[in-house]
Amino acid sequence: MGKGFDGEVLVKAEKVVKSFPGVWEHLILDHVDFDVRAGEIHALLGENGAGKTVLANILSGFYTLTEGQIYVRGRPVTIKSPKDALRHGIGMVHQEFTLVPPLTVAENVALGLRKYSSFSFPIREVERRLRELSERYGLRVNPRARVEDLSVGEQQRVEILKVLYWEPEVLILDEPTSVLTPEEVDDLFRVLRNMADEGKGVVLITHKIEEVKKVADRVTVLRLGKHMGTMRVDEVDEERLLKLMIGDVEPFRPTRTRVKQSSKPVLRVEDLHVVGSEGVEAVRGVSFEVREGEIFGIAGVAGNGQRELVEAITGLRKASRGRIIIMGRDVTNRSPREIADLGVRHIPEDRRRTGVVEGMTLGENMILRDYRSQPFSRLGVLNLKFIGEFTQKMVKEFEILAPDIWETEVRILSGGNIQRLILARELWREPRLVVAFHPTYGLDLKALRHTHNIFMKLREKGTAILLISEDLDEIMSLSDRIGVMFEGKLVGILDAEKATIDKIGKMMTGIYAE
Amino acid sequence: MRERLLKVLRKLSESLIAVVIGLLGGAFLMILYGYDPWLAYRALFTGAFGDLSGIFETLAFATPLIMTALTFAVGVRAGLFNIGAEGQMYLGAMGAVMIGGALSLPPGIHLVAATLFGMLLGALWSLPVSALKIYRGVHEVVSTIMLNWVAFWLVMYLITYHFAEPGRAERAVPAQETARYQIIGASLTTVIFVVIGFALLTYFIIWRTTAGYELRLVGYNPEAAQYAGISSVKATYLSFFIGGLAAGLAGASQVLGRPPSWTVYATMGNLLNLGFEGIGVSLIGRNHPIGIIFAAIFYGGLVHGGRFMEFEVGVASELVRAINGIIIIALSIPEIISLIGRIVRRRRE
Repeated sequence: MGKGFDGEVLVKAEKVVKSFPGVWEHLILDHVDFDVRAGEIHALLGENGAGKTVLANILSGFYTLTEGQIYVRGRPVTIKSPKDALRHGIGMVHQEFTLVPPLTVAENVALGLRKYSSFSFPIREVERRLRELSERYGLRVNPRARVEDLSVGEQQRVEILKVLYWEPEVLILDEPTSVLTPEEVDDLFRVLRNMADEGKGVVLITHKIEEVKKVADRVTVLRLGKHMGTMRVDEVDEERLLKLMIGDVEPFRPTRTRVKQSSKPVLRVEDLHVVGSEGVEAVRGVSFEVREGEIFGIAGVAGNGQRELVEAITGLRKASRGRIIIMGRDVTNRSPREIADLGVRHIPEDRRRTGVVEGMTLGENMILRDYRSQPFSRLGVLNLKFIGEFTQKMVKEFEILAPDIWETEVRILSGGNIQRLILARELWREPRLVVAFHPTYGLDLKALRHTHNIFMKLREKGTAILLISEDLDEIMSLSDRIGVMFEGKLVGILDAEKATIDKIGKMMTGIYAE
Repeated sequence: MRERLLKVLRKLSESLIAVVIGLLGGAFLMILYGYDPWLAYRALFTGAFGDLSGIFETLAFATPLIMTALTFAVGVRAGLFNIGAEGQMYLGAMGAVMIGGALSLPPGIHLVAATLFGMLLGALWSLPVSALKIYRGVHEVVSTIMLNWVAFWLVMYLITYHFAEPGRAERAVPAQETARYQIIGASLTTVIFVVIGFALLTYFIIWRTTAGYELRLVGYNPEAAQYAGISSVKATYLSFFIGGLAAGLAGASQVLGRPPSWTVYATMGNLLNLGFEGIGVSLIGRNHPIGIIFAAIFYGGLVHGGRFMEFEVGVASELVRAINGIIIIALSIPEIISLIGRIVRRRRE
């Protein structure tokens, strides 16, 4: 730690301005300064839409800057393309993977190397170099493995190796931890430290303060495109970072009013069995109830049947055995529409793929649930005027950042804004039952609190909420009761008051059942 | 509003650049073969748009293409690659012959009945495609191509053996006087208003109704559609059905609204390829009903004006077609790129 403070400045960005004229009114980056030194891990901290990724994309040649100047080792340069950036020694690992699944690791790496002809590239040499690199940095990947057989964490290592192959001096990683398990995160941080120790400059984009504290030497905070400051991590505390990042916001304590404990179940699941996509039984005999005004949390490591459970409840997947009863009606294996019509809303796990239609506009996405009902449409004809006003209202209420409701495709919105869109659409009508899958995943703190507040309000009004999350803090702070899922079964249901992180953690790993 | 204007302007400028590239490519070909491209292009444009009868003729060529292009476009909107306009159009023409040529009905009713029956046959011909797709997962490219050939031989059989004009066995009985659209000028008839009306109606259905919303939703993201409780079955049927109606109207328009023959030749000479040309027109028109109208007029101009290149400058007719081809390809490129982008994105997901 701390080795990089006096290292040479490898890359420096001075007064960088980025605007997207015609799309965004305000500046995406507003005279931002940033520099990376040899031997340091420099965190770029900010909420969704703060401009972290845009700044990184400018440094790595994916965007061009509107104003400002970039220096590499003190020399002013113009970076026109990612190749340009790599030649200047700047490489970036994107949040979303760009790998070809049927090809091997080595082949994927070789794809980016133009110096070989189309018909022959010395794949052996690539493999050898990859082995060397993985050893040097502790990035364990078999160069001959097919990418489609790799876990997400391994795929990310391939992405990093792809960039390392170019021997960059500065490596930028955009939210690399969002797809990783805690152990994989630790592994990754070790790798990053190795690189810094070797004299590289590492830029870590994140919105998690604890990651900054854990691994970074210096931190630059951005808020809505503005540079809020750059400082040494050992000289700043979490609270200060939080303030810089989100401004002055009350610390969050979900106000738990005592809700008249109704015993009326809204959702009842009885001995449910569901077969997953791989043909293996993923849910194996699950039974529980969610009552009016209750938040029922389901904790568990991803892949223990949560997805299949949610899909069965919302009608997206057939149950092979058991019953699902919503509001006293047996809805086992009914269509998603029939279930939705009972007042069930669903915040899906994969927001971009399932939750929205990326090629359609904000207004069109906002009516996904309600387009058939008046006044959204009448006699099969859409009421565009009303839809526009409604969307405008939702945009305001849920603070969705979008340039325009009719012309902008949802594709260009950031993940957090897409999640706000989904929350607005699913929750505005005060549904009877909400099935929320990772509802705050990837949201910044402000949005996360907003969401939690909505959940608490809905709960007071009698909505039953089934909350599935890997975030134990979220489960613990919101739920009235907590069920833990392990290998397709509910290994236990605890009252929130009696639950401890330790106990739940043990149940999640199957060590302990109740 | 400004956003929309910018978007339209961007698409328009892309298309204009494509036109210039296409024309340059054609010019290059002509220079290669020793023709004067300037004279040739002047002949093309004055022939197609230079006087009223030229414009009428251009519009007459555009009429069926607006409809067959619409078939493809409505498919694309639902995420389908419907290239069955060709066969459905044959059936549409056949339907028009059956009612308009072989039957005698009171004026007014006769024209309407013949038109509707043609459209209906076209739409019916699309039903097996939807059903195969929905129940057996047969890709529409395979089924439409096969059905195109079935339609070709079926219609040829019907014309030759059951609906041939007495004394002129090479063609079907022409539409009777009571089943003909009024001639506006040259070979343009009032059927063009029906065609444009249908294109506008389709626009309305796709962008202003819940059914069209569902159709586009399924086309963009089947997974999100399922999540929203929308069945892709309905959207698939609707898309193929509208497409079939449009292709049927294209065929009927050539019988009921295209002098001087007012009928179908047993060789299908006057229909052949109108369905496939519609795909190009649709791409030029950005798969948008309004864009398609202009694209078809442009295309009609190339076809009609191309003849003037031939007999005024002497450019060989094969070369005229090659030049037109270059222009069409250049014009299709922007939309093809975005279409491929969409397919790739979906694959990746």
